[in-house]
Amino acid sequence: MRLLFAKYRHVFNVGLQSNIVYRWNFAIRAAFSLVHIAFVFILWRAAYLGQDTIGGFSLDQTLTYFISLLVLQFFIGAFNEDYQISEEIRNGLINQFLLKPINYFVYRFTIFISARLVSGLLALVPIILVLPLLGEHLTFPDESWRLLVGLPAILMSALIQFSIAYIFGMLTFWFLEIQSFVILSMAIESVLGGQIFPLDLLPESIFRISQFLPYYYQMYFPAAILTGRIGEAAAIEGLFIQAFWVIVLLGIGQLLWQRGLRRHTAVGG
Amino acid sequence: MIHYLRIWLAGARYSVVRSMMFRGDFIMWGLVELFWMFVNIVAIAVIYQHTDSIAGWSKYEMLLLLGTSMLVQRMLMGFFWSNLFELGRNIRSGYFDFFLAQPGHPLFMVSTRKIDLDSLLNIFVALAIVIYAARELGLDPSFGSLAAYALFVICGLILSYSMLLIVVSISFWTIGSQGMEGGYFTLAEFSRLPREAFSGVASVIFVWILPAVVISNAPARALISGFDLTSTLWILGATAVWLFIAITVFNRGLRRYNSASS
Repeated sequence: MRLLFAKYRHVFNVGLQSNIVYRWNFAIRAAFSLVHIAFVFILWRAAYLGQDTIGGFSLDQTLTYFISLLVLQFFIGAFNEDYQISEEIRNGLINQFLLKPINYFVYRFTIFISARLVSGLLALVPIILVLPLLGEHLTFPDESWRLLVGLPAILMSALIQFSIAYIFGMLTFWFLEIQSFVILSMAIESVLGGQIFPLDLLPESIFRISQFLPYYYQMYFPAAILTGRIGEAAAIEGLFIQAFWVIVLLGIGQLLWQRGLRRHTAVGG
Repeated sequence: MIHYLRIWLAGARYSVVRSMMFRGDFIMWGLVELFWMFVNIVAIAVIYQHTDSIAGWSKYEMLLLLGTSMLVQRMLMGFFWSNLFELGRNIRSGYFDFFLAQPGHPLFMVSTRKIDLDSLLNIFVALAIVIYAARELGLDPSFGSLAAYALFVICGLILSYSMLLIVVSISFWTIGSQGMEGGYFTLAEFSRLPREAFSGVASVIFVWILPAVVISNAPARALISGFDLTSTLWILGATAVWLFIAITVFNRGLRRYNSASS
């Protein structure tokens, strides 16, 4: 067990170092995200003109939701993991893992964690810089159960985000190019994951349906818990559905890996 | 002039043949774009469930604005995007040499090598959205405002092209400008917002310094409330200035270019 831990600790260190190389990319990305926040700010301020609440939430609550989403994105969102995995399969780099006692999923997930640690901390820098401007709009509920339920929700969201990227990467065994799949799914995720508007603004029945889809648990769910958009009962129920999706997605990833390897011809190995 | 038209036609023909060779790809990318357009419409539909106006713009006025913004963006994607995107990479790799040897001005050659058929097809979808919104608004535009709309859309295309060219031309000076192109999408978001929503610093930045908002607002306004001299002069002036800056930056960079080793 300790040996196992030591093995992936090295992977983590290597992942940390190789991601620090891309610090400027992450920093530029974070800066662009702030410009996006300006867009969100202008749009919603204009929409709130003449009314105090939309869907039962104030302008500041909605802005807090979007800012939390942004921070979460840099800490748990999958960036280009799908392309990295796809590249490794295409170039035959995965061949080395087939001969060593290393689990490819755990290996990639460890690198994912180290990458998000770097990008998350880097994204905090520009956000802290503009905090004097944003600060007055931030408003979080102060119930302690939200942290207690929010933390496992965040961790499972990270697992879901990574598993979906992993599944897309696995498609490389069958398709030459996965980019169009990824961008198509990004469009679905951005709506049903709550990045365009908070999902609770959807008509009641559609909102209910979205709660049974994995996208809901990618981003919206943890952000909604932390910013007070959903109540305790809905949060607890959500945790169970989220756990269900984690298991399903992990299973699909594993299945595709096994099936894919049967087709794999180790090009360039 | 005819010389350039023939070069462009040859490139266009090649692009069409290529799309037809990779039909699956073509259909998939067309769907991807269509879906992203749909996402933006859903956003408007959901927000207007909860409010009647955004900065004084009604639901269908917003839809008309969105359609116009998409129209400009699809034209940019269809005619120039992948060419300019590759320009940055080619400068870094030295493959840009190849364009210098071609029979035409390098800027023309790099900008018009390919067209993207899937984006060009989606221009019709964007147009359909604009027409649908105009009908719902009960608009009956005169020939003058239709002509102004078309002219302003072309101006918007030139403005977007110029801004993108400036960003990509930075590659002549630095190697690390990868990811800057992504900034275009961040900026393009603002072209989906009504001009009236901007005030203070935001108005200075996004309306006056970077004309991202003007790109879509000027044509949409022309269609909704008719031809207006001040905004015509403003958008024509801005277009000329930005195109001039972009061409100058590109030419300066070109002079600095000394290929890449290996």
